[in-house]
Amino acid sequence: MKYRKIMALALTACMVFPVSAFAESETTDITLWTYPVGSWGDSAVVDGLIANFNEVYPNINVTVEYLDYTNGDDQVNTAIEGGQAPDIVFEGPERLVANWGAKGLMVDLADLWTDEAKEAIYDSVEAACQNNEGVFYEYPLCMTAHTMAINREIFEAADALQYLDEETRTWTTENFVKAVEAVYASGQENVAAIYCNGQGGDQGTRALINNLYGGTFTNAEHTEYTVNSEENIKALELLTSMDGINIDASITGGDEIQLFCNGTLAMAFCWNIAQEVNNAESISFDVLPMAFPSENGEPQLCGGIWGFGIFDNGDEAKIEAAKTFIDFMANDETQAVESVKASSYWPVKDLGNIYEGDELKTEYALFTDYMGDYYQVVGGWAEARTAWWNMLQQIGSGTDIATAVEEFATTANAAAAAAQ
Amino acid sequence: MSNSNRMSKALVRRETMAGYAFMIPSLIFFLGFVIYPMIQCVITSFFDSTMNRADIFVGIGNYVELFQDSVFLGALKNTVIIVVVSVPVTCIFSLWVSSVIYNLKEPFCSIFRCIFYLPVVTGSVAVTVVWKWMFNNYYGIFNYVGKSLGILDKNINWLGDERFALGCIILILLTTSVGQPIVLYVSALNNVDQSLVEAAEVDGATKFQCFWRIKWPQIMPTTLYILVITTINSFQCFALIQLLTSGGPNHSTDTIMYYIYYNAFKLYRYGYGNAMGVVLAVIIAVLSGIQFKVTKSD
Repeated sequence: MKYRKIMALALTACMVFPVSAFAESETTDITLWTYPVGSWGDSAVVDGLIANFNEVYPNINVTVEYLDYTNGDDQVNTAIEGGQAPDIVFEGPERLVANWGAKGLMVDLADLWTDEAKEAIYDSVEAACQNNEGVFYEYPLCMTAHTMAINREIFEAADALQYLDEETRTWTTENFVKAVEAVYASGQENVAAIYCNGQGGDQGTRALINNLYGGTFTNAEHTEYTVNSEENIKALELLTSMDGINIDASITGGDEIQLFCNGTLAMAFCWNIAQEVNNAESISFDVLPMAFPSENGEPQLCGGIWGFGIFDNGDEAKIEAAKTFIDFMANDETQAVESVKASSYWPVKDLGNIYEGDELKTEYALFTDYMGDYYQVVGGWAEARTAWWNMLQQIGSGTDIATAVEEFATTANAAAAAAQ
Repeated sequence: MSNSNRMSKALVRRETMAGYAFMIPSLIFFLGFVIYPMIQCVITSFFDSTMNRADIFVGIGNYVELFQDSVFLGALKNTVIIVVVSVPVTCIFSLWVSSVIYNLKEPFCSIFRCIFYLPVVTGSVAVTVVWKWMFNNYYGIFNYVGKSLGILDKNINWLGDERFALGCIILILLTTSVGQPIVLYVSALNNVDQSLVEAAEVDGATKFQCFWRIKWPQIMPTTLYILVITTINSFQCFALIQLLTSGGPNHSTDTIMYYIYYNAFKLYRYGYGNAMGVVLAVIIAVLSGIQFKVTKSD
C-alpha cells in the first residue's frame, strides 16, 4: 500500500513538474525596429540596453533591426503591407501618431500613460504623443530642441556679435537682419542658405520662417496648415530680399551642415547637438548654437520627441511583452537614465541633471526651455513636407510668394482633410 | 516508316523536351518577375491603390488625372527634351568618335574605347557625386574656372537654377551614354567589307561617298540598336535626377520616371504611378516602332 502511494506521488510529480517547468521557461519573442536616434542606431549600445532588460525579464527575447532615415519608412511600410510589422518601433510622433497611428495600425498605450506618468512627463510632450481624440500611440523617452548655429569667429570679425544675446542665445528679427548685413558687408558672400533640395532637415527652414514674425505652421488644434498667414509671407519676403541669404534648391539640410562646418556658410539653420558632436572633427571654429530670431526675442523652437510605439499585430502576448519592454526602458529608475543617454538627448521628464559635468550638453540643455508647439502630428504630414520644399523652390525661382504659400496651403490642407 | 526515321523523330522529341526543361527555370523567373508585374501594373493603374487599405476601382480616373496634372505634363516635356537632345547627340558623337578611332593602331584604339567606356562601368552614384561637386554652387570647379577666366562675375547655382539644371542633367547623361555606342560602332565599322570601300576609292569615290554609300548601310542595324537603347535609356532617366536634383528646382528636372517613383514610393499612390508607367511604356513602344519603320529594319 505504502509502495503504491509513493508510486502515485512520484507519477503525479512527474506529470506536474514538466508542465510547471515549461510554463516558467516559455519565452515571448518580440521585435524592435529603431531609427538612428543617437546611439539607438548603434547595435553595441542597444545590445547593452537589452541585456539590462533581459536581466530582469529573461523570458522576453528582443530582436532588433536598425533603420535609417533614407529607407526606414519604406522598410516599415513594406513590412506592414506584408503583415510583418515589428512589435515595437522607436521614433517620433510624426510617424507613430500622425502616420501609423492615424491609419489604425498602432496599439493604444493608455495603460502605460498612468496618472503618475502624465504627472511626470512634460505637457507639450504628452500633447504630442496622442491624437486629437486623446489616444496615445507613443510612450516618449527623450527630446531635443532643433536650433540654428553661427560661426562665432566670422560674426566676431564682422562685429556682429553685438546683435545677439550670448547668454540666452536669443536675438530679435531686427538684430538678425543687422547681423546678416554686417557679416555680408565684411566680405562673407554666403551668409546662409535656405536649403530646399529635399525634405531632409526641413524643420530648420520652417522654424526660421515661423519665428521671424510669429507665424505658425499649423493651427493650435493641428487640423489646418497656416503657412499662408501674413506673418509667414512677411518672413519669406524678408528672407528673399536679404543679401547673403540664398534660397538654394541644390542643397539639402545635410549639405547645408557640411557647408557650415567647412566654413563656407556663416550660419546653419539645420542644427542640434548631434550635428556638433558628429562634425566635431571637421569644425575648426567656435560654433555658437542659437535660437531662431523672433520679433520679441522669445523663440518657439521645433523639437524632436522620440519614444516607443507598438504595432497591433493581433498577438496579446507580444503586445504585453512590448509594453513591459517600454515600461522598463522609459520608467525603470536606473535604466531610464541609460536609455535617454543612449539617445544623446534629454529626458521627457525630470530625471535630474543626467549629463552632470558635460559642458556641451549643459550648453544645449538651455534650448529645451524654448520648445514650441509640436505640430508634426497634423494630418497629411508626408504630403505637407514635400509641398514645403517645393514651395521654397518655387519662391526661389521667382514665383510670387503669396501665390506659392497659397498653393502650399491648398495642397497640404487637402492632404490634412483626407487624413481625417 | 523506316527504323532510322522513327529513331530520329524520337531523338528530336527528346531534345525538344530537354530544351523546354532547361528553359523552365528562366521562364518561371521571367513570368514571375517580368510578365506578372507588367500585368499587375496595368491592372493596378485602374485602381486607387495605396498602403494599408483595399484598392478602390476608379476606371480610367488615374489616366484622366494624369493628363490634367501639370507636374506630369512638365515631366513629360522634360523627358521629351532629354530624349530629343541626347539621342541624336549620343548617336552622332559616338559615330564620329568611332570613325576616328576604329582604324587606329593598337593599343590606341583600345585606350580610347576604355576612356569612353569608363563612365559606363563606373557606378552612377560615384559619377553623380563627382558631377555634383563640379557643379557645386559654392566651391564647384565650373564656377571657379568661369570666374578665373572672367566668364562669370558671380557663382551660378547650376543645379539650383531652373534655367541651367536640365542642361546639366543632359550633359551628365551624355557622358555616361556614349561609351557603349562607341564600342558598338567601332566593332561595326571594323566589320564593314573593306574590299567594297577600296573598290569605291579606286573608282574615285570621296570619303563622304564611301561612308554614306558603303559604310552607313552596313552599320545600319547597329545604329538602329543604338537608337532604340539610347531612346529607352533617356526615357528612363532616373538615378541622375534622384541623386542630383530630386526633380527640382521647381519641377524643372522632373522626368516621367522620377515622377513615377515620387508618386509610388513617396506618396504611396501606386495606382497613379502605375498609370504613368503604362503611358511611358506605350510612348516607348510607339517610338521604337517608328524607329524600326524609319530605318526600314525588322
